[in-house]
Amino acid sequence: MAGSGTATDLALSGLTKVYGTNTAVAGVTLRIGAGEMVALLGPSGCGKTTTLRMIAGLVEPTEGDVLIGGFRVTRIPVHRRNIGMLFQNYALFPHMSVAENVAFGLQMRGLAKAEIRPKVEAALSLVRLGDYADRLPSALSGGQQQRVALARAIVIEPNLLLLDEPLGALDRNLRENMQVEIRQIQKRLGITAVLVTHDQEEALTMADRVVIMRGGKLEQVGTPEQIYSRPASRFVASFIGTSNFLRGNVAGYGGGMLRVSLAAGGQVLVPWPDDGRREVLISVRPEAVALAPLAEGAMPEIGVPATVQQVVYRGQTTHVHMQLADGEPFVAFLPNRVGESAGQSFAAGDKVSASWSPQSNWLVSDA
Amino acid sequence: MTASVLQATDMPTRRAVLPKWLAGIAILLPALAFLFTFLVLPSIILLSYSVLTQSESGDISLPLTLSSYQRLVSGPAYRHVVMTTLRVSVLTSLFASLLAYPLAMAIAYGKPLFSRITMILVVLPMVVSVVVRTYGWQLVLGNSNTGVLNWLLQLIGFGPAPVKVMFTEWAIVIASVHVFLPLMVLPLAASLGRINPSLNEAARMLGAPAWRAFLRITLPLSVPGLLAGLTIVFSLTAASYVTPQMVGGNRGLMLGVLLEQQINTSFDWPMAAAIASVMVAIALGANVGVEWLVGRRAAARLRRSRAR
Repeated sequence: MAGSGTATDLALSGLTKVYGTNTAVAGVTLRIGAGEMVALLGPSGCGKTTTLRMIAGLVEPTEGDVLIGGFRVTRIPVHRRNIGMLFQNYALFPHMSVAENVAFGLQMRGLAKAEIRPKVEAALSLVRLGDYADRLPSALSGGQQQRVALARAIVIEPNLLLLDEPLGALDRNLRENMQVEIRQIQKRLGITAVLVTHDQEEALTMADRVVIMRGGKLEQVGTPEQIYSRPASRFVASFIGTSNFLRGNVAGYGGGMLRVSLAAGGQVLVPWPDDGRREVLISVRPEAVALAPLAEGAMPEIGVPATVQQVVYRGQTTHVHMQLADGEPFVAFLPNRVGESAGQSFAAGDKVSASWSPQSNWLVSDA
Repeated sequence: MTASVLQATDMPTRRAVLPKWLAGIAILLPALAFLFTFLVLPSIILLSYSVLTQSESGDISLPLTLSSYQRLVSGPAYRHVVMTTLRVSVLTSLFASLLAYPLAMAIAYGKPLFSRITMILVVLPMVVSVVVRTYGWQLVLGNSNTGVLNWLLQLIGFGPAPVKVMFTEWAIVIASVHVFLPLMVLPLAASLGRINPSLNEAARMLGAPAWRAFLRITLPLSVPGLLAGLTIVFSLTAASYVTPQMVGGNRGLMLGVLLEQQINTSFDWPMAAAIASVMVAIALGANVGVEWLVGRRAAARLRRSRAR
């Protein structure tokens, strides 16, 4: 198992799928490095699953190419691509034992029984299911079934591992454990992997890079940190975590900062080059925001005035939901310390000044 | 919650007119009486006829004897008919299953419109009477040059009347496959439709060409539907009368036709009763045998699953 081939890279070039008049995937071009795990993330219907199925060979692209290790595989049928895949519903063969399931791919490759046995045993012990070889899949829990599926996918020493919402059917705790386990095995074997998910946490936890898809196109590609702290668009900022959006006009530039006067009143400084745009949309993460009481009619020097609407205690944090002068919502996540709830000093109807460090400002496109 | 509990206790308690079990029997009674009068009773009479003796005058009475069964098993002519019946039934169910797989797969996996059209085309012939459909086969399979098949073959250049299918077992098999095909396709399509489509994809991804994925995954998982279809088609073919009567002739004599001859030509009621009993036994045997096979498979799986 350990010497499972050499890691291969994956390239998608102008990959397109059209169903009738509906374009599911529109010209996706992406390069995935050897041994890298990339998550395709997006709402349902964004084309992430179709993209994955075109890589697998289960869907034929209308246009464009899939290259694995530099070889064009677009016209190569599914069963000759040597790709491992995890399905959301596990897709274990119900009439075969765990060991027979894992052995299936090796049998298809024409290996002798004597060669198959040790490989199956090694794969099963890798997923800690060595004692379950003779069970039928139906006698296993959901997590165990997906581990069998993982063993079955990696035992063929695939060039590529595809994961199609593999943990969607598991409950939260088990899902988090499995995320870590799959990630560790993928790293240890150095398999290039593509994960499709609609769960942003799963994407951020498991992937080296996250690809945000929308309407069949790539919206943004980056590391989890880049995607979260430097979202390219309003869509990405609100899809990954929660974000506040503020409209404003550039009122000046100095010291590497744009001075933006906000539509909701108040002003903020944004560390951004003066690239000539006048109307901007600022994204601010709620956990960056601090609140202070504001006298009636006063205007904060830096920050935005707001009216508290609801204070929700959430354990680690208190969420303070506010409304801005222009009617837009605004929310702050205040950290709680033991014996002291951060939101205690605020109540519905209070006027507050919301402020944050300039580094927390990020300009996004309004789309 | 509290309100509804109060309401429930406030309801006037009404005593049932009949105890529950008695009411159940009362509801079942008409159907039971019908089945007893027209199925159980005639069956008992039939079975008893088969072991009674028929006198010269035609009266059926004691003593008890197994001579009818003995003749059926040991008489070469009769045994031949039993074997023909079994052979035709086996061949019909086998050929029907071969033809049914592509149709059932088209119904189970096709796009909705295509799937529905295929389904309608498969079921449509059932609207036409068996007699009419079998007349159709008489026209197609006719042994002379006027038979459509022979006429076509002659057109292509196979010489005058190249095939003599009419009035053989093969004519019965061909016509029966046609008549019973829907009854094979429907359970098979239902069985295929229940198989998770990802299983086939998983097999393909693991390196199986389409035909191997079919043999290793789809075929074994569709066995319940296949067995149901085989049982139905086998039983109905073994019990059929119209088709062998119309296209079988003397070389394709089957139990159903033999039975009719015993009653209308030989007036040998005990023999007819024995034949009828054997026909029921064949159908029952097929059903019980399949049940046993399925049960054994399930038990073996369970044993394996608990092996550790």
